[in-house]
Amino acid sequence: MSGFLYQAFVEPLSQGFFLKALLGGIVTAVVCSVIGCLVILKRMSFLGDALSHAMIAGVSGGYLFMKIAFGIEAYAPAMLAGSVIAAVITIGLIGFVSNISRIKEDTAIGIVYTGVFAAGVVIVSIFHDLIHIDIVHFIMGDVLGIADSDLWVSAFVAAIVLSVIVLFFRYFQITAFDPVMAASMGIPVVLLDYVLTTGVSLVVVSAVTMVGVILVVGLLITPAATAYLISDRLDRMMMLAALFGVTSVVGGLYLSVWLDSSGGGAIMLFCTFQFLFVLFIAPRYGIISNWLRKKRMIPQELREDLLVSILRKKGDAISIQDLKEFVRVYASLFHQAVKTLLRERLITSDKKGLVLTDRGEEEAMKILRAHRLWESYLQSVGAPGGEIHQMAHQLEHLEYDQSVGYLDSKLGHPLHGPHGEYIPEESDKIEAIKAIPLKDLKNGEEAEVISVGEKAGKSGLKKGDIILSKTSMIGKITISRKKTKKTLSKDAAMQVIVRLVERGEKKKRS
Amino acid sequence: MDKIIKKKTGIPALEIKNLTVSYGHKPVLLDISLKVERGLMVGVIGPNGAGKSTLIKVVLGFVEPDFGEIQIFGSPFQQLKGKVAYVPQRGSVDWDFPITVGQVVMMGRYNHVSWWSSPGKDDRDAVDKALDLVRITDLRDRQIGMLSGGQQQRVFMARALAQGADLLLLDEPFAGVDAATERAILDVLSNAKKNGQTLIVVHHDLLTAAEYFDKLILIKQRLFAYGPPKDVLKPGLLGEVYEGRLAIFRDFETREALK
Repeated sequence: MSGFLYQAFVEPLSQGFFLKALLGGIVTAVVCSVIGCLVILKRMSFLGDALSHAMIAGVSGGYLFMKIAFGIEAYAPAMLAGSVIAAVITIGLIGFVSNISRIKEDTAIGIVYTGVFAAGVVIVSIFHDLIHIDIVHFIMGDVLGIADSDLWVSAFVAAIVLSVIVLFFRYFQITAFDPVMAASMGIPVVLLDYVLTTGVSLVVVSAVTMVGVILVVGLLITPAATAYLISDRLDRMMMLAALFGVTSVVGGLYLSVWLDSSGGGAIMLFCTFQFLFVLFIAPRYGIISNWLRKKRMIPQELREDLLVSILRKKGDAISIQDLKEFVRVYASLFHQAVKTLLRERLITSDKKGLVLTDRGEEEAMKILRAHRLWESYLQSVGAPGGEIHQMAHQLEHLEYDQSVGYLDSKLGHPLHGPHGEYIPEESDKIEAIKAIPLKDLKNGEEAEVISVGEKAGKSGLKKGDIILSKTSMIGKITISRKKTKKTLSKDAAMQVIVRLVERGEKKKRS
Repeated sequence: MDKIIKKKTGIPALEIKNLTVSYGHKPVLLDISLKVERGLMVGVIGPNGAGKSTLIKVVLGFVEPDFGEIQIFGSPFQQLKGKVAYVPQRGSVDWDFPITVGQVVMMGRYNHVSWWSSPGKDDRDAVDKALDLVRITDLRDRQIGMLSGGQQQRVFMARALAQGADLLLLDEPFAGVDAATERAILDVLSNAKKNGQTLIVVHHDLLTAAEYFDKLILIKQRLFAYGPPKDVLKPGLLGEVYEGRLAIFRDFETREALK
């Protein structure tokens, strides 16, 4: 057994080509993955593809230039410079084509990069006696045959690109997230885009020797996308992406030795499986956790009905048997639902039975608000009285954010339902403490006058008056105080400062 | 810089002269000139595609004008980096971006921090204060996509507050939020106004425009009107600009007439 493990894991390390591939691969994968995070967040993935294809023209151009001008064979720095020049030309052409014509950017990218790639292929075949570039090698890459000069290029590129990203991390972050704000802060957005694109082309150049033109995009975006599945912060996403890049190279290289396959292919295959694995098990956005969540889920309607049923007991505990009377579902589903609510800490159980927690009460209030608003709405459109409660009971479960705000403003922000019940406000706690101008009172709100300004002097309002706002149309506000109605102009209503009467106070009074 | 601004009180917060902007062959803004006095809350209204958002983006320096001049507090806008805060339209934000509430608000401090150093105590205090003002302190470590619509809007309000800018530009802050959030945002805006900040707000709801703003800018490519709401919200003028797409306003007029 140990002999087998030794053979599988340690023996490859004794071979120089394997060690070199490991070293070069890791360095390249780290820098690819880190810059890849910015590439996927800025939705530039296709650009990586374009740049890698454009490279062959640059490499052969650089090779040819050094050969003809200085007689030097395969001079790496010249080929690197050639690649970057080809990349810049490609990007320039893409921008030019999409700017001056109706052709959209994705099409422009496709046209330009195949054109530049073709130019490279033609150059290589015309000058085949001067330059010795193996196109197949170029397309497929050869990580196991990596040369010392390639290693140096990778290390150089990684050092430059990583330092730029680390030093200007905040600028890259804000430019990717909100370019308009970045521009308003004087951050050179366009320059940063060029820096990023140049960085991507450098990285692509150093990665092509390992995995080849076709697979380089994968190395750029797959580890980054894997990290994206499980990160909520860009800095952590970059670190995780680097880690996934390293594991891809290590895993892939061993795979290639064991299977005796192409190195680049094995690296990308491992990388893809790694992505799929994380896609399945990711804690929040993963497929399995989604599936588990769905399986554990109880119908939203049941959950909401239970919460409101407990809320209607007004703070008293309710026994499980009594609660079951309110909902007509199978016992097993009912118990699962109660368990879920307990686990989510929306309800707790004490000696007498079940009670709502603060969070549970908040959620129940929201549903009650939806219910009462729907009742008011149904009444206002003339639904038959006997059916209103039942219909509202069904409608209250509709998408809260979309329906309730609409109903609320449609009905003029009522405070009471059709049977005079109080409609809970969305965030009572925030609202109640504020002193606001009378002008901002909503229809049906009750408030206490705190101060009366000059212009509102003739309104007869005094400090301490309790008033009820009737309508809040533009310009005029009608209020009633001790059953007498008054109409104030907008200016006067601006000067009267009132304090909303808190829900608790109102309860005490009634 | 602050001192200079305070001394020259007669100078408008924003002055635009003959501004023209186009995307490709399509003119978006044509020959717009206006002056926004300081300390006002000004609404920008106009139909869809009228160039409201573009106007904001030009002032922010994100879109290059073809022609024209923009001065903010008397200086060319290129020199006043970070003195203008921006609250984007909710639909234009990438809510899946791996970033937390606290990090977004910290962006407001980036122009107070040099590129080689990390945010200091002042910056963290400003972020705390801004989060508290819009009441989302407990959401600080959440990823922004996990918030409700109203909370998302408040994150960007907090960012604008943390920036401490004298001019705030907001792109449809009231779109798609519930009544409670609308009031909370309005509250934050009026406080900013009280502190002497100038606010320019793209707004789509004509019914509330008169109530919320001191002055209105009515645009559709050209500037149609700029002044107090009662001078701008005239049926004739609005009919011309909205070309009959103004059902909501007709509704409003009938309600007024019925009273």
